[in-house]
Amino acid sequence: MTHQAAPRDQAAPSNALQTGIVQLRDVTEAIKVRIRNPAKLRNLELFLLIVAWVIAGSAMVLVQLGALQTVDLFPLQLAAGLGVLTLALHVALRVVAREADAIILPVATALNGLGIAMIYRIDIADGVTGWDAASMRQIAWTGVALIIAIVAIIVVRNHRVLARFRYLAMAIAFLLLILPLMPGIGRTINGATVWIGIGPFSFQPGELAKIALAIFFAGYLMTARDSLSVVGRKVLGVRFPRLRDLGPILVVWAMCMLVLVFQRDLGTSVLYFGLFLVMIYVATGRRSWMVIGVGLVALGGVAAYLSLGYVQRRIDAWIHAFDQSVYEAQGGSFQIVQGVFGMGQGGLLGTGLGLGRPDITPYANSDYIIPSLGEELGLAGIFAILGLYLILVSRGIRIGFQGPDDFTKLLGVGLAFVIGLQVFIVVGGVTRLIPLTGLTTPFLAAGGSSLLANWLIVALLLRLSDSVRGRGIV
Amino acid sequence: MSELTLIVIRIGFLAVLWLFIFIVLYSLRSDLFGPKLTPLQRVAVQSARSRESGATPTAPSESADAPTTVTERASASNASARSGDATRIVITSGPRSGLELDLPQTGLTIGRSSGSGLQIKDDYTSNQHAKIVRWRDQWVVQDLGSTNGTFVEGARISESTPVRVGSAVRIGTTTFELRR
Repeated sequence: MTHQAAPRDQAAPSNALQTGIVQLRDVTEAIKVRIRNPAKLRNLELFLLIVAWVIAGSAMVLVQLGALQTVDLFPLQLAAGLGVLTLALHVALRVVAREADAIILPVATALNGLGIAMIYRIDIADGVTGWDAASMRQIAWTGVALIIAIVAIIVVRNHRVLARFRYLAMAIAFLLLILPLMPGIGRTINGATVWIGIGPFSFQPGELAKIALAIFFAGYLMTARDSLSVVGRKVLGVRFPRLRDLGPILVVWAMCMLVLVFQRDLGTSVLYFGLFLVMIYVATGRRSWMVIGVGLVALGGVAAYLSLGYVQRRIDAWIHAFDQSVYEAQGGSFQIVQGVFGMGQGGLLGTGLGLGRPDITPYANSDYIIPSLGEELGLAGIFAILGLYLILVSRGIRIGFQGPDDFTKLLGVGLAFVIGLQVFIVVGGVTRLIPLTGLTTPFLAAGGSSLLANWLIVALLLRLSDSVRGRGIV
Repeated sequence: MSELTLIVIRIGFLAVLWLFIFIVLYSLRSDLFGPKLTPLQRVAVQSARSRESGATPTAPSESADAPTTVTERASASNASARSGDATRIVITSGPRSGLELDLPQTGLTIGRSSGSGLQIKDDYTSNQHAKIVRWRDQWVVQDLGSTNGTFVEGARISESTPVRVGSAVRIGTTTFELRR
């Protein structure tokens, strides 16, 4: 806090009545400061939001100039509509969460705008228009996601209520996870059974499940952290927890293995387990949980490699990406190699928006949007995008760090980490640091469920940061 | 459109992207490096620091100095760190280490009960454990008949004891101090 009411006290006379008056004045002083500060935060947010609009808008114009050589106003008008919705979210924050973090909304807006511009660029290259175009659907989904985020921030006034619904959150997460396996609505796309389809719409319920899981883990670990911190015997210099406390981590591990086997989705499974591992580490502060977790991942990984064909193919395509036989094989490394060469083509400053050929990589607008952006914006652009993610995640972890109670701390760290881990898995996959898995890039990739989930995370983080009273930016 | 204009626009876009990041980082600077101090405040912080490092060994003997009246002590603390300046409480060790709260001018109750201003939930804390109140122009900690006691600078207190900015107050496994 910036207010320094204290020096005035030095002049305070010892008369009790007058001291009372001085204290009253100090109190009113404090109130004045408290009203002025949040407005400062919101004004900063508005300024950053305008810069984010400029980035998103100019990306779209550059795409049109590069690929069409003209400026088509219609997509720009749609994007402006989304800008109005982000402004509505900003206004909602002014009313119901005045002390919320000022950075998160503009950064998410910039990322989402860059994503839409890139998806639009791929649509131009593929020659699709109207509702067939992924960019149209992406704009519509962004609108829906923003409206839901606004509703969430207005309805959820106190996120601590969510702690009471932790077992409901667990049930919802479980339901969302098994929905794609239900006959009739479950859909298998590219081998992974993570979709549900209702009419023309398809949805990935696992994306929403990660929020429900974060709420459940935070609520559960809030009550269980004491018993989970108790140490048992010491093995090789590391104090391990008691054997009977291993139940929860084994249950989560089993859940992730079931996702791996039945939904055939490596990325989601790693994401959920990583989320639990980090939250249990934050809750207990015991490194032994990390040792146990990494051990379980290694065990599961080896078992999956030996028994599941698609995991084996993924690992082969990762290690032997440039082998001619792997490159030409069905489900081989064609996509990885195309992406890597695309990024190489981009070089330091990129080919320029609308001027490269990112569309020849399969799924250039969803799984492979990072190489598409890397080709047209170059290393400088990709690092800027990763920097935006870094800022977003660090704000979330900062909110968790400053949280006044255990639930806020755990939920803040969990939600921020899930974005960070997802970016790591995707970017690590397309750059051949780790095996490629089919996760979406938060805010950038084409896909409604991912947008919905990530804007909900933004709404929750904003709500959390509002409860960390007056601790934003001074 | 000429080749050159396109290149300029392209690089301009990347520049705007990075500008955005640097604006964000600039507005986060107080979060990264702490709030900006006026020159006067900086001098005050530095002198308080040097005093703290010099005064620490003598502090316990001073608090054990029984005949000192509170008024004398108040004038003594006028010369050193004035506790009346404190506006925050920072928990320095214990399960909720790192937590900061505003210290209201009306004082703060500490205990296990949910009505406490600072709620400490452990086995060593009584329901109504202690109270921090403002007396004249300094902060005073009072033990409210707790089972396991309240410690100021390592010594268990039996009566209202003035606390200075930066001196450690321990309740159960939690230690906190007043800050400006």
